Amino acid sequence: MTGTAGTVGETASVFLQSGSGQGATEGAPLADTVGRLLGFGSNMGPGETLIAAFIGAFFIGNLMLAMTGVAGPWAKRKITAAFTDRIAVNRVGPFGLLIIVADAVRLLSKELVVPDGVDRPAWDIAPILMAGSALLGFAVIPMGNGIQLADPETGLVYVFAVSSLASLGLVAAGYASNNKYSLLGGLRSIAQNIAYEIPLVITAASVVIFAGTLQLSGIVAAQTEPLVTILGVSIPAWYAFVNPFAFVLFMAANLAEVGRNPFDIPEAPTEIVAGYQTEYSSVYFVLMYLGEFLHIFLGGAIIATLFLGGPAGPVLPGIVWFIIKIWAVFLFTQWMRSAIPRVRIDQLIEIGWKGMLVLSFANLVLTAVIVGLIA
Amino acid sequence: MSLEDPQDQRGAQDRELVGVTEEGVDYDALEDLLGEKVIGRESHVNAEAFVIRPDEVQDTLFALRDEAGFDHCSCLTAQEYEDRYESIYHLKKYDDPTQEVGVVVPTSKRAPRSQTAEPVYRTADWHEREAYDLIGIDYDEHPDLRRILLPETWQGHPMGMDYNQDQPQVVTFESHTNPLAEDHKGEESDTMFINIGPHHPATHGVLHLKTVLDGEQVADVKPDIGYLHRCEEQMAQQGKYRKEIMPYPDRWDYSSAGILNEWAYARAAEDLADIDVPEYAQVVRTMSAELSRMAGHMLAVGTFALDVYGDFTAIFQYAFRDREKILNLLEDLTGQRLMFNYLRLGGLAWDLPEPREEYFDTVRDFLDELPQNVEEYHDLISSNEIFQIRCVDTGVLEPDVAKSYGATGPVARGSGIDYDLRRDDPYGYYPELDWDVITEDGCDNYARVLCRLQEVEQSARIIEQCVDLLEDWPEEDREIQSNVPRTLRPDEDAEIYRAVEAAKGELGIYIRSDGTDKPARFKIRSPCFSNLQTLPELSEGEYIPDLVASLGSLDIILGEVDR
Repeated sequence: MTGTAGTVGETASVFLQSGSGQGATEGAPLADTVGRLLGFGSNMGPGETLIAAFIGAFFIGNLMLAMTGVAGPWAKRKITAAFTDRIAVNRVGPFGLLIIVADAVRLLSKELVVPDGVDRPAWDIAPILMAGSALLGFAVIPMGNGIQLADPETGLVYVFAVSSLASLGLVAAGYASNNKYSLLGGLRSIAQNIAYEIPLVITAASVVIFAGTLQLSGIVAAQTEPLVTILGVSIPAWYAFVNPFAFVLFMAANLAEVGRNPFDIPEAPTEIVAGYQTEYSSVYFVLMYLGEFLHIFLGGAIIATLFLGGPAGPVLPGIVWFIIKIWAVFLFTQWMRSAIPRVRIDQLIEIGWKGMLVLSFANLVLTAVIVGLIA
Repeated sequence: MSLEDPQDQRGAQDRELVGVTEEGVDYDALEDLLGEKVIGRESHVNAEAFVIRPDEVQDTLFALRDEAGFDHCSCLTAQEYEDRYESIYHLKKYDDPTQEVGVVVPTSKRAPRSQTAEPVYRTADWHEREAYDLIGIDYDEHPDLRRILLPETWQGHPMGMDYNQDQPQVVTFESHTNPLAEDHKGEESDTMFINIGPHHPATHGVLHLKTVLDGEQVADVKPDIGYLHRCEEQMAQQGKYRKEIMPYPDRWDYSSAGILNEWAYARAAEDLADIDVPEYAQVVRTMSAELSRMAGHMLAVGTFALDVYGDFTAIFQYAFRDREKILNLLEDLTGQRLMFNYLRLGGLAWDLPEPREEYFDTVRDFLDELPQNVEEYHDLISSNEIFQIRCVDTGVLEPDVAKSYGATGPVARGSGIDYDLRRDDPYGYYPELDWDVITEDGCDNYARVLCRLQEVEQSARIIEQCVDLLEDWPEEDREIQSNVPRTLRPDEDAEIYRAVEAAKGELGIYIRSDGTDKPARFKIRSPCFSNLQTLPELSEGEYIPDLVASLGSLDIILGEVDR
C-alpha cells in the first residue's frame, strides 16, 4: 500500500535522473480552464482557484459516477448476457436503460441493516474509503481536451498510492463486519492486493523508464510519436505496442487488483458468499459496488494512460477516445468474468509471488537495458 | 467418521470367493461359510437372505465381504413388525451386482439393539443413523449414533408402529444444540468453526456443512442433512401400488431426472407383482430415461462450473440452453417439464406425441447439434488450464474408499470403478443397444466431470438407436401397456430390493408387501445419500474452494438425500 508506493517512488526517482522530465505545465489544468470560463482571469487567487478546482472535481467525479451508474446496473448485465447467450434487462425503458433509475431507487430505499457487534466506525468508513479512494485517483488522469484536475510531477505514484487505499477499506470491511465469511474475504483481499500490487507497480515502472517521467501528461506526450508507418498509416508509439509484454502483465495484474476472474477470490460468491460485502446493505452496499466499478474504471484509466496513449485517437475528441478505452478495459474484465474459472487462494498467491513478480522484474531489467543501449 | 484402519478388501480378490457359481450365487455355500451364525433363511424376490443374531452382525458381514466378495453394502432397510424390529443389509458386488444377498437382523421389541456394521462398510454409518432416527433401532458401538434427518430434539421415531402422530413437536429454540457453542481454539493452532449452509450459494439446496477451518484449509467437515426431509417413504407407504405412488419419485431427484426415478419404482413393483412390460414401452422408457439423464448431467456440469468459476458464467448458461432443449422434448413426450409422472406399472401413460415424424425430427435435430455443443463444453471446461489446476488432483476419492462408502454412479465411475447397473444388472432395453460404460481413473473432481460429459454422449447414442427402433416399429405392435389388475395385491410377505442406474447412481427401492394394496414398507436407497457421505474424505485437509468444488462434483440433489 503506501509502503509499496514509497518504494516505487524511490525506484522511479532513480530513473528520473536519467530522464529529462519533459517539462509539462505545473498546476491544475482543468481548474485554469474552469477559472477562465467563470471569468476569474489568468491570475486566480487562492479562493478563486479553490472554487474552480471544486467545480472541476465535481465535473470529473460526476462523469465517473455516471459511467459507473451505467456500468453497474445495466452494462454489466447486458455484457454478461451477451457472453452467456441471454437477453438481460429489456423491459424497463429503451434497451432496459431505465433499470438504472429503478435499481438506484430500489437500492437506496432499502433498509440499512446494521448487524450486531459490528465495529462501528470502521464498518461505516470502509465503503466510503473504497469509493473515495478510486475517485481520488481520477484527479491526476489526463482525459484529453484539457480535462485533468491536477498534473503533479509524481502523478503515477499518487494514483497507485490512493488506489491502494482501497485495500484498507476491504480489510476494514472484512474485519469490522463480525462475520467469518467477511473476515475470510478481507484476509484474502489483503493477501491478493499485496501479491499483485508489486508486479503492477514494477510493470508501470518499466513504462516510466521509457517515458522518463512520472508525470502522467508527460507519459501521454511520450506516446504521441509515430512508431512505424505502414501504408501511410502511422502507428503511434503507444507502450502497448512498444512493450506488449508489459501490457499483458499489467492487464493481468490489474484483473487481480480489481478482483475479477480469475482473481475474484476476495468475493468468491460460491465459496465465501461475497466475502467482505456480505453484511452490507442499502446505501453502504451501493458505495461498495460503486467503489468496485470505480476501481475497474480507474484501472482502465491507468491502462489507457500508461499503455494506450491516453486520450489520443483519430477524428473523435480526446475525452471520447479516453472513455472508449476505459470501457474497452471494462469489457475485458467482464469477458474474463464470464469465461475464466477462479483460481484457488494458494494458487493465486503462487502465481503472484513466483510468476508475476519474477516476470515483472525481468521486464523491468530488460527494459532498462534496452532503453540504456538505445538512449 | 471411523478412524479405524480400512480393512484390506483386496485380499479377498486373490482367494477363491465362496459361493460364486456359473448360475449366480450359491446360497448353500454361503450358509456353510457363515455356519452357526445363520439362525434362519428368508427368500426375498431379489435374493436369499440369512437371518442372524444381532450381536454377530460384524462377524457375518466381514465373512461375506472378505470370503464371499460382497463389497457393496447397497442399502440398509429397517422396519418394525408386530413382534420385532428388523434391519436388512442388502449386499451386492461391485463386479457383478446381480449377485446379491440379504442379511436380516431381527431385534427384540423391548430393547431393539443391534451391532453396528460401520467397521465393515463405512456407508452403514449414515444408513444406521437413519434407521435409528426413523425406526428407533439402537446400533451398539456405532461411532456417532445421532438423528440424521430429523432435528435432534425430535420426540419419538416416526416410522415406528407406536408413534403418535398428534404428539406436539414444539421445542424451544434454546433446547437445540448451538453449533457455535464449541470453542475451537486449540493449544497449538487456532481453528475457526464456520457454518456453510443451510443457506449458501454452493450447497445446491439446503445442506448444512459444519466446517472447522484452519486458516483457509478444511480441518473437519460434517454434513448435516435433513432440511428437505418430506417423509417420502411414509407417503409412498400410504399410496396404492397401481397409481398413487408413481408421482412421488419425480420429487426425489428433481434435476429433471424424474423418469429415472419413476423407473426405479416401476422396476421394483413390476418385479414384485410379476408384471411384464411390452417391448415397445421398454424402448420408449429407455429413450425418455436417457433424456432425463442428459438433463440431469447438464445441470450437474453447469452447476459444477458455477462452483468453480464463481459467477453465472457462459458454461452454466450453455448447459441450461441444452437442458432447455431436452426439457422441451420431455414436455412434448410427457406433458410436463419437471414432474413427468410418465411411467406406469406395466408400461407408459401414453404413446409418443403425434405426429411422430415431427417428434423424431426434433429429437434428431437435438442429437445432431449435441456433439458440437459437447465440444464447446470441452473447450470451455475440460481443456481450460485454470480449470485443470483447480480440479485435477483435488477431491481425491480412492476406489477402495468409494466402495466402502457405497458410492455409485459417476462418482464411482470417476474413481475407476466399472459399475453401471444398466449393463451389469440389465433392465429395460439397454442390453439390446450398443453403448459403453464410461470410467475415468483420475479419482478427482476432474475425472467426475469428464465422466458426466462423456455419459451425455453415450446417452445420445442410446437415444439415437431408440429413435431408429421406434421409427420402424410396426403400427399394430405399438403396445404401451400390459394388462395390470386394477388393484395390485402382491403376495403377503414378499420382499424385494431392486435398483436402477439413476443419474446420480444406484437408486434402489425396497418394498415389503403385506398382502394389501399398499406397501408395508417402502424404502428408498438414494445414490446421493451415499455419495454425499464421502464428502469428508474428499475435502478434509484441502482448501475451502476445493471443498466447494468437491461438493459440486458429487452432484447431490438434496431432495434425494433427504427424501
